[in-house]
Amino acid sequence: MSNKDHNSEPHAEHISSYREHFGTWVGLILLTMMTVFISVFGADLRTLSVATALLIASVKALVVGYYFMHLKYDPAIYRIMMGIVMALFTVFLVMVIFDYLTRN
Amino acid sequence: MSETAAMPLNYLNVKKGIWSWLFTLDHKRIALLYLYSIGAFFLVGVVLGVVMRLELFNPGRDIIEPQTYNQVFTLHGVIMIFLFIIPSIPAVFGNFFLPIMLGTDDVAFPRLNLFSWYLYIIGALFALSTLIYGNGPADTGWTFYAPYSVKTGTNVSMSVLAAFILGFSSILTGLNFIVTIHRLRTPGMTFNKMPLFSWALYATSWIQVLATPVIGITLMMIIAERMFGVGLFDPSIGGDPILYQHLFWIYSHPAVYIMALPAMGVVSEIIPTFAQRSIFGYKPIAYSSMAIAFVGYFVWGHHMFTSGMSGAAAIVFSILTFLVAIPTAIKVFNWVATLYKGSIDIQVPLLYALAFIFNFLIGGLTGLVLGALVVDVHVHDTYFVVGHFHYVMFGGTGFAFFGALHYWFPKIWGKMYNKTRANLAFALLFIGFNTLYFPMLVLGIMGMPRRYYDYLPEFHSLNQISTVGSWILVVGLLLMIFNLVAGYLKGQKVGGNPWNGITLEWQTDSPPPLHNFDKMPELPAGGPYNYPNAKSE
Repeated sequence: MSNKDHNSEPHAEHISSYREHFGTWVGLILLTMMTVFISVFGADLRTLSVATALLIASVKALVVGYYFMHLKYDPAIYRIMMGIVMALFTVFLVMVIFDYLTRN
Repeated sequence: MSETAAMPLNYLNVKKGIWSWLFTLDHKRIALLYLYSIGAFFLVGVVLGVVMRLELFNPGRDIIEPQTYNQVFTLHGVIMIFLFIIPSIPAVFGNFFLPIMLGTDDVAFPRLNLFSWYLYIIGALFALSTLIYGNGPADTGWTFYAPYSVKTGTNVSMSVLAAFILGFSSILTGLNFIVTIHRLRTPGMTFNKMPLFSWALYATSWIQVLATPVIGITLMMIIAERMFGVGLFDPSIGGDPILYQHLFWIYSHPAVYIMALPAMGVVSEIIPTFAQRSIFGYKPIAYSSMAIAFVGYFVWGHHMFTSGMSGAAAIVFSILTFLVAIPTAIKVFNWVATLYKGSIDIQVPLLYALAFIFNFLIGGLTGLVLGALVVDVHVHDTYFVVGHFHYVMFGGTGFAFFGALHYWFPKIWGKMYNKTRANLAFALLFIGFNTLYFPMLVLGIMGMPRRYYDYLPEFHSLNQISTVGSWILVVGLLLMIFNLVAGYLKGQKVGGNPWNGITLEWQTDSPPPLHNFDKMPELPAGGPYNYPNAKSE
């Protein structure tokens, strides 16, 4: 007996254009350059430097997820799941940083 | 006439030979592979535990050296946590019964399922290899706290690598269960018509998938620091040991719910079957599993109240810790309410379920004591924590595991064990367990520190009582194992539904056929626990 397909749903395939792939790649390179610039060439952001690095890394992860991993073309449930994971991760960071900032 | 012609084909006799087991894709056989391997490692962990108790029978040296003692309690913890408790109920009973309870023929990814077991075995071999390779097993405790874990000469790298590999096994099992529950439920089975064991596994699986990667990366950071001197956790090279504790407990506290939630699922199955009535508060029990999983993510800081964490953060974590008690209490009240006015049939699985509630209540309430900041300062790092932890893990999850074994034994092997012997084994286990661990709570209040090789004379008598409890517990364990093996070899054959259960696993033969059902299972009208002969209220 097999009922594996009883609630499967049609899933439209999407083939990204070279233009979109190239644009995503350029975006990631620019963001990487920005990270290097901030850390190496002395942009003095003090405590914000960690937050800035995390923000840039998060944007890069989103770009990869959205375009390279086709999250943009998938059903909304996957974006919601991704959002929950990101929110969870953010809470972890906030609570750890809260401990550091409130220590005597 | 051949044997297979005489008896109906089932998953046990449809194929023969060692290779049919080692390369099986059948979720039921993979579950048994897990059962035998987890059972073997559990016995190793028990031996190490008994060695510790023997050493603590008298103050000073009895049988082992202090350094050996440190390594024994570390290996005991690593084996019991990573090789027994975490995989126990999901990998064995989840693998075996989740697809059957959902009315389907296998998990979503059978090959991934087998791969998970191989990862488990590889991780286990890595952990045990520290006994004969390098400078002996780690002596850090199962938490691998930095900076000691970075500096000790024992084989920490291999131990954390083992935990890393075992984490992958856990993630893949969780992923498999989530997809199975979303995609393979039998037609008509909505989420709110799933058995509560499936709900518990669903909540557990999300924790496995989302929290386990954190410990994986953290353990890799330990190796990076040990091998390459990267200053992450060791203050002498610019690291922060409290950062390690944050990262470790971000996984390891949710992991407590990986251990506890499936046990609660088992209890939610056993109680309505032996009360022969609908479970009280189906939705509160189901949703409280999700609530425990969710809130459980945010309470990790209560392991660090005395570690130097900020007072403000400690207050936040303390409040959140008290919140997690609410969904747990909801479950307990609902289980007890289910028994009320039920047609209670006191069989061995129900005894284990009741023991779970009793032990888990002590474990849970002592957890609240530890969650209170002012008390935690006094009892942290004492035997109170050891007692609390074992009441939750062994008294809770361990007893639920034994209960599940007795509940589903006739379904798995199609035979019944000797119930008188099973009752006697239960009594020995329950008495032995409480004799072993309750004195630890008292010792902790008296101020005996945990993880110490030696102790002051005033702690002597309670330590002796505790060690005697370990002997009673071992006798109970051996009797239980003997009884189950005897049941497997010579037990009386039983039909498909010896307990009069109504979830889907009781609609198929015992043992189940290869594809679980010979005909499409019928969902019980009115929900998974709507017992037709239940008394009206």
